[in-house]
Amino acid sequence: MAEWDGQGLPPVAAERIRRAAAGGAWTSLLSAPAAAGLESAGFDPVGEVMGSMVARIGWAGYRGCGGYGWGAARRTITSSDGNRFSGFAPYVQALYAGYGTAIGRLVTEAAAIGADGVVGIRLGQTTEFGGAREFTALGTAVRARSATRPGRIFTTVLDAQDVAKLLQAGWVPAQIVYGISVAIRHDDWATRAQASWNAGNVEVDGYTELVGVTRADARRLLHDSVRRSGADGAVVDDMTLAVWSVEPGENHRDHVAEATVFGTALARFHTGRVAPTRSLTYLPLR
Amino acid sequence: MTADPTELGIPQDAMRRLAEMRPGQATSLFTSDLSVNEFLLVREAGFRPLGLVLGSSIYHVGFQVGRWNKNQELTMLSQAMYHARELAMTRMEAEADQLGADGIVGVRLDIEFKEFGSDLAEFIAVGTAVQADSGEGWRNNKNQPFTSDLSGQDFWTLVQAGYAPLGMVMGSCVYHVAHQRFWQAMGNIGQNVELPQFTEALYDARELAMSRMQAEAEQLHAEGIVGVQLRSHGHRWGGHTTEFFAIGTAVRPLRADHTIPTPQLVLPLTDR
Repeated sequence: MAEWDGQGLPPVAAERIRRAAAGGAWTSLLSAPAAAGLESAGFDPVGEVMGSMVARIGWAGYRGCGGYGWGAARRTITSSDGNRFSGFAPYVQALYAGYGTAIGRLVTEAAAIGADGVVGIRLGQTTEFGGAREFTALGTAVRARSATRPGRIFTTVLDAQDVAKLLQAGWVPAQIVYGISVAIRHDDWATRAQASWNAGNVEVDGYTELVGVTRADARRLLHDSVRRSGADGAVVDDMTLAVWSVEPGENHRDHVAEATVFGTALARFHTGRVAPTRSLTYLPLR
Repeated sequence: MTADPTELGIPQDAMRRLAEMRPGQATSLFTSDLSVNEFLLVREAGFRPLGLVLGSSIYHVGFQVGRWNKNQELTMLSQAMYHARELAMTRMEAEADQLGADGIVGVRLDIEFKEFGSDLAEFIAVGTAVQADSGEGWRNNKNQPFTSDLSGQDFWTLVQAGYAPLGMVMGSCVYHVAHQRFWQAMGNIGQNVELPQFTEALYDARELAMSRMQAEAEQLHAEGIVGVQLRSHGHRWGGHTTEFFAIGTAVRPLRADHTIPTPQLVLPLTDR
């Protein structure tokens, strides 16, 4: 078998999509309520689609400690700061490329089987053999019973039930949006003093700044990504933060924070000021 | 859902909107921490989400041990747990204030002790800032946006029933429960007996937490507190030292009657 050049879809995926596009039974990841929900909103499932990408992150963009001799004004350096040597920018770019490529391949598959959107996307990141990372996106492609095609395939991490509720209320998911930021902060005299065992009750300003700046950067990137999508807003699905320490030199530790925010951008299509549906209050008998 | 979706123009209008979408329009974007159900219900209650708001503080919790055989509050730890939460909440409120919000709904207040340092914990408050469609005064008597840890569903029901949230109120008490004296412990072996000093300690600690929460509600001139949760956290202080934490949403009446339409009874066909 000829080796794949990395363009388009891998040969097996292309073959699977060719079979799916030729007709026959469709597959989906939908639960029964999800299928019923889609039906009620005027959509039909067309097939299960996925995208995957295995990458090796060789250079994280980190050498030496963050901000030695950078002056006291700003001690936290984020991946967005454009600092080539201590900002983790290459690492974050690799994460963006991983998720972006996986979602891109999922969309390519969906387009090939005539879908308008992909719902219930599960994004994953696993560390494989030899430290390589696999980024995956798996979802169900759907097609609207509509004469208009959306132009660009919509993607969402929301379940089909949620998509149906949104559509009934005049909102349509536009695309998956995310913000990822990694930042490093040099541990200084103040953080060491505030975090020592006998410091008493005290806020550790430096660490608060580190997590604050990292999260703020991830949220800003999320916001930019919603703006670029042209949608009206976003519902956040998942927000994570991890902090760990690194030892760039003898007897010296710095702290690194990684913040991610994932969500779905939403566009409004109802024109009135008030949402068109009214909720029904009920009491479940169970 | 009996109406035909195509008659309502649902997929057609939605697809047209997506087809017309252009990047970087000059609209005011929102982000929210709400689930889809919550998002739709908050809209239906007459509020628009403005943005996800967040406040955080990494705090070094001081060191204090209780006397071996004494029931006592560890005031230094109580203060730490309260002060750090207050810092996170205040920062979240400041973000909401900047957005011009009337309130914050669906607030989550979390504590995470960090692996990278002993006694270091991150206190974080996350919620969604909202603005009322009707420009009435929704802010509380401190001219701050109201805060509420109620879910979007509970918030909708509360507003339907004629109540408005004023603010999240909380009380914390870190308490050291005395160990039993040797002869006392020996006397209990093989017996089913109440341990009065343990019972009393837990009563005391909960009472302190709840009365502090109540005092906060009184400051806001609240009529009452709804959705109170009384939690106990062991954190990292060993078996005899526990934090008792009371949290709820203080409310004020919006109108005199507080009735909601009688709910429909339904038999769900799913097992969840």
